[in-house]
Amino acid sequence: MDFLKSMQIAASGLRAQAGRMRVISENIANADSTPARPGADPYRRKIPTFTSEFDRALDARVVGVGKVTTDKSDFRVKYEPGHPAADASGNVKYPNVNALVEMTDMRDAQRSYEANVNVISATRRMIQRTIDILKA
Amino acid sequence: MAITDIPIFSMLRTRLQYSQERQRVLAENVANVDTPNYRARDLTAPKFPEPNEMPTATVSSVSLVRTENGHIAQFGGNSSFDTNRKTSYEVRPTGTAVNLEDEMIKVADNQMDFQAASALYTRSLGLLKVALGKR
Repeated sequence: MDFLKSMQIAASGLRAQAGRMRVISENIANADSTPARPGADPYRRKIPTFTSEFDRALDARVVGVGKVTTDKSDFRVKYEPGHPAADASGNVKYPNVNALVEMTDMRDAQRSYEANVNVISATRRMIQRTIDILKA
Repeated sequence: MAITDIPIFSMLRTRLQYSQERQRVLAENVANVDTPNYRARDLTAPKFPEPNEMPTATVSSVSLVRTENGHIAQFGGNSSFDTNRKTSYEVRPTGTAVNLEDEMIKVADNQMDFQAASALYTRSLGLLKVALGKR
């Protein structure tokens, strides 16, 4: 049945957005993860990517989370001489996570997720309508 | 005589199939809303033939059309509708051309179309039942 295919395509979107949320939550949780040793690198921000692949069974292009890459931008550096991870000059490297960017990404993921849920509920109502023909 | 031989039923069936196929295409668009270089697609509405050449036999199934040789052919079923690759006016820096609001409106629109067609189908079945004297 084609409607079930529509639902599965939307479900692939839900899965992809959920995977994106997982990476975003990882970034936010590790926003202050300082390095374990002095001079070492702290947590590096991760970026989820999406890939569109052709699903032969569904005869449609479904979406999935592709490679999770790392953000190559510079770390934030704070002067905290008393910190255990401070280097010789008293600087501590903090992760290159920007809370504002993560929040924006999270809203975006939320919006896309809701759109997919919307498609599923619309499809569900259409299936219900088809069943209603039998009841008439 | 099958139920699909009656013109009204065959027309409604085409309409319902169109809505079903369109829902699949729209679901694909929404699922790929964050995929780089993805372009939204849509089906063009079916053209109904002139009244003097009404379809009497069964209607061909609904499927996507191949607009380029590189496209993978669909399995089974020939095409009665075209995919409308109208360029979207909003293209993101990642190359994604899916307008979420637009897609939501289309989904709601499609749902309403389907409801109208299925309600008409139910009514037509009711007419048949009246003719049979079951009501």
